[in-house]
Amino acid sequence: MGTYFLRRLLLAIPTFIGCTIVVFSIVQLAPGGPLEQQKRQLQAAAAERGGSGGVASEGETTIPPKALEELKRYYGFDKPLHERYLIWLGLWPREIDQYSVTLDSARRVSGGQFLIVKRQAGGLSVYDASNTSTPITTWLVADKKHEDGSPNIYVYKTTFSGILTGDFGRSYQYREPVIELIKERLPVSIQFGVIGFLVAYVVALYLGIQKALEHRSRFDIFSSVGLFALNSMPGWALGAILLMLLATDTFWSLLPLGGMQGTDYESLQIGSKIIERARHFILPVIAYSVGGIASLTMLMKNSLLENLSQDYVRTAFAKGLREKRVIWMHAMRNSIIPLAARAGFVITIFLAGSFIIELVFNIEGIGKLSYMAILSRDYPIVFAFTVIGVSTLLLGNIISDFILALVDPRIRFK
Amino acid sequence: MAFFKKTAAAEPNKPLTLFQRRWKKFKSLKRGYYSLVIITTAYVISWFLPILVNNTAIVVHYEGETYFPAVRELVGMSYFHAGSEFGMTGEFADKEASYRLLDETWEQANSDNFVIMPIYPYGPIEDFQTAGNQAFLAPFAPDGHGHGRVLGTDDRGRDVFSRMAYGFNVSLSFALALVLLEYLIGIPLGMISGYKGGWFDTILQRFIEIWSTLPTLFVIIIVVSLITPSFALLLALLSITAWIGICWLIRAEFLREKSKDYVAAAISIGVPTRKILIKHILPNSLVPIITYFPFAIVAGIGSLVSLDFLGFGLPAPTPSWGEMVQMGLKYITSNPVKWWLIASPLGAMFTTLLMTVFVGESIREAFDPKVFSRLR
Repeated sequence: MGTYFLRRLLLAIPTFIGCTIVVFSIVQLAPGGPLEQQKRQLQAAAAERGGSGGVASEGETTIPPKALEELKRYYGFDKPLHERYLIWLGLWPREIDQYSVTLDSARRVSGGQFLIVKRQAGGLSVYDASNTSTPITTWLVADKKHEDGSPNIYVYKTTFSGILTGDFGRSYQYREPVIELIKERLPVSIQFGVIGFLVAYVVALYLGIQKALEHRSRFDIFSSVGLFALNSMPGWALGAILLMLLATDTFWSLLPLGGMQGTDYESLQIGSKIIERARHFILPVIAYSVGGIASLTMLMKNSLLENLSQDYVRTAFAKGLREKRVIWMHAMRNSIIPLAARAGFVITIFLAGSFIIELVFNIEGIGKLSYMAILSRDYPIVFAFTVIGVSTLLLGNIISDFILALVDPRIRFK
Repeated sequence: MAFFKKTAAAEPNKPLTLFQRRWKKFKSLKRGYYSLVIITTAYVISWFLPILVNNTAIVVHYEGETYFPAVRELVGMSYFHAGSEFGMTGEFADKEASYRLLDETWEQANSDNFVIMPIYPYGPIEDFQTAGNQAFLAPFAPDGHGHGRVLGTDDRGRDVFSRMAYGFNVSLSFALALVLLEYLIGIPLGMISGYKGGWFDTILQRFIEIWSTLPTLFVIIIVVSLITPSFALLLALLSITAWIGICWLIRAEFLREKSKDYVAAAISIGVPTRKILIKHILPNSLVPIITYFPFAIVAGIGSLVSLDFLGFGLPAPTPSWGEMVQMGLKYITSNPVKWWLIASPLGAMFTTLLMTVFVGESIREAFDPKVFSRLR
C-alpha cells in the first residue's frame, strides 16, 4: 500500500504542473497585466504634468522606451513564456541584482564591489575593478540592444529561486514577500475552515443517524425538505440573508457584521474575549458548513440504512444482541466509511472555495487576499493562491483514499 | 403482422412502455411534479415579460393612430418612440417616451388618446433619470406620483421586482444554455472514451484530472477580469469545466453497456460503430443524462449568481440576481438596511433552486429507483 500512495503522490506532480501551466499561461498572456497598468499610471501622470498639452497630445504621451524596458525586466516580461514559467517554478536561473553598465567604466554593485565590463574576442566579460586580468564568474553580463538600437548592457547574478524553493515572489501591491502575506492570513482561513468542517460533520452525523433510525417518520420527512432547501442555497447566500437579519440595526442586532474581532478586543478579559470571538464566528461558520451538512447527512443516513438492512445486522439481532449494541458497534462502524472517505476532499473545499464567504463576512483570509489580488493584477499572489488551491485539492484526494484505506480493512490499494 | 399491431393498439390494457411507467411514477411524486409544472409555466411566462412587466406600453392610441411598442419589443424589434411622437414636450421630447406619464396626463385631460400599460408598469433598466423613479424606495413606499413599487427600487431607482422577474428569465436561460453546451461536449467525449477505451480514454482521463483540479471559479474570475464578459463568453468559460461531470457519468455508462450481449450482437452483424453508439447504447444510457439535468441546472444558476455577485458576471445593465445581492450587501451598514435588495433576489433564487432540486429528486426516484432518496 505504501507504494500505491507513493505512486499517487508522484502522479500528482504532472497534474500539478499541468494545472499551474494553464493558470500561468492565461494570466501571463492576457491583456491588462501589471505592465499595462503601470504604463497607464505613468501616462496619466505624464499627461497631468503636461497639463496644457490638450487632447491631441494626451493620447500620444508615451513612456520613454528605456523606462518601458526597465519595467518589462522588473516584471520579467522580457522573457519567453516557458522561461517565465520555469523561473517561477525555480527550475531556470532567475536574474537578480541587475545593474546597467557602460563598457570599460567601473560600476558599483551590491556588496561594495566595483565591476568593469570589457569587450573581448569571445564577447563581453566581467572583471573586478581592482583586478582586471582575470574575469570573474559570479557576475554574468547580458549584451542586448535597446529598441532604438543603442547597446543595453547589464550585469546580473542568477539564482534558482521559485515556488519549489519556497519563494513565491514579492507582491506588486504590498511590496512584501507573498509568503509573509499568506502566513499572516492562512491561519484565519484555516480556523474558519476547520471549525466549519467539524460543525458540518458533527451535525451531519447526528442528523443522519437520527434520520436513519426514524426513517419515514415525520421528523425524517421534514428534515429532508429542510436539507434540500439548505442544499439548494449557496453558503454565502444564506450567510448574506443571516447577516441582514441578525447583524443589522433594522432587524435584530445580535451579531457583529463581520471581521474577526471587535475594535476593543485587546482590552477585554479572557472570558469576554472568547465570547467576542464566538460571536464573530457564528455566521461565517454556518455559511461554511451548510453545503457540507446537507450532502453529508444524506450520505450518513443512506449508508446507515443500507447497513441496517444487511444480513449481518439481522444475524446480530437474531443472536440476541441489544439494539443499541447492534446499531453502534456493528452497523455504525460500517456506515461511517463513506463519510470518512470524504473528509480529505471536504477540507479542500473549505480552504480553496471560500473566497466568496470571506468577502461577504469581510474576513481577512487568503481567499479575500487573492480576490483583491486579481482586481489589482497582483500576479504573485494570484499564482500563490492557485498553488495552494491545486495542491490542497490533490493532497485532499490522496488523503481521502488514505483515510478510506485506514477505516476500511477490506480495501486494498494496489 | 399489421393485424396484430392493430389489436395491440386497440387493447385498453396495453402494457406501458418503460418511459411511460417512469413518467407515471414521476407524476405520482407530487412535490417534484408540481415543482416541474410551476417552474416550466413560470419560465414560459417569463418570455412574455416585455408585455407583462415593463415600462413600455402595450398599446398607445394617439391622434387616431395605434402603436404597439411593447409587443414590438417582445418580438425583438426596435421599439424606440421619441416622446415628441406622442406630443410630449420638454424632457421626453427626444428621449424615449415615458408611457406612464402619458397615461397619467391623458387620463387627467380626459382625452381620446389612451395608453394600455403592462400589468406591472415598471421596467428592469429604467433608472432615476426617468420621471417618477427614486433611488432606494422601500417596498410599497409611494414615489412622487403616489405609486408604490412592490419590492422597492435599487440605488439607481430601478424597480427591484421587475429586475428580479427578468433575472429569473436570464438565470434560467443561462443555466439551460450551459447545460445544453456541457451535454454537447461531455456526452460525445464520454461515449467515445467509454466505448473505445485505449489511448483516447487514457489521454482524456489525464486531461480531466488536470481540468477538474483547476480552481474553476478563480480561473474564470481571472479571465473575466481581463476581458469584458458577455453572455456568450461566460457560457463558454463555464462550459470549459462544466462538461466533466456528465462526461464521467456517460463514460461509466458506456463502459458497462459495451460488454452486454446486445452490443456484441450488433457488432457481429456488422453495424457501424457510430450507429452502435447512437442507436443502440445511447438510448440505454438515458437515465444518467436525464437525472443529471436538474442538478446541472442548479449548479449553473449557482455559478452565474456567484459570478454576478463578485462583479464578474453578465455586463452591467443586465438584470441579475447576484448583482442585486452585491448591491444590497454594499449598503448593509446603512440604516434602515436595504433588505429588499438582498431578500428578493435570494428568495427568488432559493425558490427556483429548491423547486429544481425537488424535480431532480423526483426524476431520480422515478428513473433510477433506489430504496432511499439521495442528494447527489
